[in-house]
Amino acid sequence: MKLKLNINNRYYNANIDADESLLDVLRHLGFKSVKKGCDTGTCGVCSVLIDGEPILSCQFLAARAEGHKITTVEGLGEKADEIIDVIINEGADQCGYCGPALVLTTYAMKQELKNPTVEKINHYLAGNLCRCSGYEGQLRGIKKYMGVE
Amino acid sequence: MRFEKYIRPQNFEEALQILKSDQNSVILGGTTFLRLSDRKYSTGIDLSDLGLDFIKEVNDQIEIGAYTSLRKIETDPIINKNFGNLLPKSIENLIGIQFRNNATIGGAIFGRLGFTEIITALLVLDCELEFEENGKVDFNEFISNWNIKRDILKKIIIKKKQGKSSYKMMRNSSADFPILSVAVSNFDTIKIAVGTRPSIAKLSEKASQLINSDNNKINEAVNLITDEFKFGDDLRAGKEYRKNIAPILVKRALQEVLI
Repeated sequence: MKLKLNINNRYYNANIDADESLLDVLRHLGFKSVKKGCDTGTCGVCSVLIDGEPILSCQFLAARAEGHKITTVEGLGEKADEIIDVIINEGADQCGYCGPALVLTTYAMKQELKNPTVEKINHYLAGNLCRCSGYEGQLRGIKKYMGVE
Repeated sequence: MRFEKYIRPQNFEEALQILKSDQNSVILGGTTFLRLSDRKYSTGIDLSDLGLDFIKEVNDQIEIGAYTSLRKIETDPIINKNFGNLLPKSIENLIGIQFRNNATIGGAIFGRLGFTEIITALLVLDCELEFEENGKVDFNEFISNWNIKRDILKKIIIKKKQGKSSYKMMRNSSADFPILSVAVSNFDTIKIAVGTRPSIAKLSEKASQLINSDNNKINEAVNLITDEFKFGDDLRAGKEYRKNIAPILVKRALQEVLI
């Protein structure tokens, strides 16, 4: 089936299978920042934003995404750099595989949480697994970005 | 899950007609099973355009559309000010925020999966389901009998009531599925539900009857729990372990609602 997807404020035409995941379609279209990890809705590395909300693209139908605004980390531009910088400054970029999803989820968290705390940040990011298990460094950087002591 | 055709109907009549005429079609919820199941269907029916994503107060009840995400329920102010946060507590530890933004309450209920914590919580509320063809059905009846298989779940209707409630669970790690879940409410009467045993949640009869007859008989009521429910093994916990922790969680929940 044919559909038109709004990705990072640009329209892309795609010819997809009815049951194809948004993850596979995004990667076919060249958005390689969207990683394929567990592919079963557990690890969070395939996270993208749909209308500003983080979702798992491995379990989101590409067909359902038509008519919505999809944002990958490429679409955040300088807003992504701000988050990447605080993580790098703590030496927490590590292998980088979980990075794009972590940046997107952190960006969504900043828009959503009015009074962030360490507990709320940990809860919000519980679905973003890091295979290097470097959570402490990431959290130090993200706390600074969120303005939490 | 696999399907050859994807259809997004524009009204309930069209959706029901497709569902009834093609026995191998399936209504798509949050599609969280997209890569967890290898079952093949002919047609996936997406109800996204039918306005089923809502939470609203209507007189003395709260209505939740079947396509409302678990995350929306977790954060909604109407839900949070009612039932002592029972519903948000039964959702907030499920995988991660991204997962809960995908998963819908309709999918969680219609799937009748054993690990679905929100079913445990809804059982202790005064709750009905509204279907397109079958109309209103008692929630407990649907969960116990699963007598409706080819219909469209439109909304969940919960009666607002004054009182206390408590949700307890145990899990191996914070974002995993639970190994046991317990919900207790004390509105008109005390209701106790035990879920993730690992089979689907169920209401207690004997323990509830005893505690309603005498609120001081917490220990006696708790002692009935292990005989009243069947517990089993899965990869997260063994039958004996579940059997041992169930009375403890029920006792803690009862103490909270009876203070």
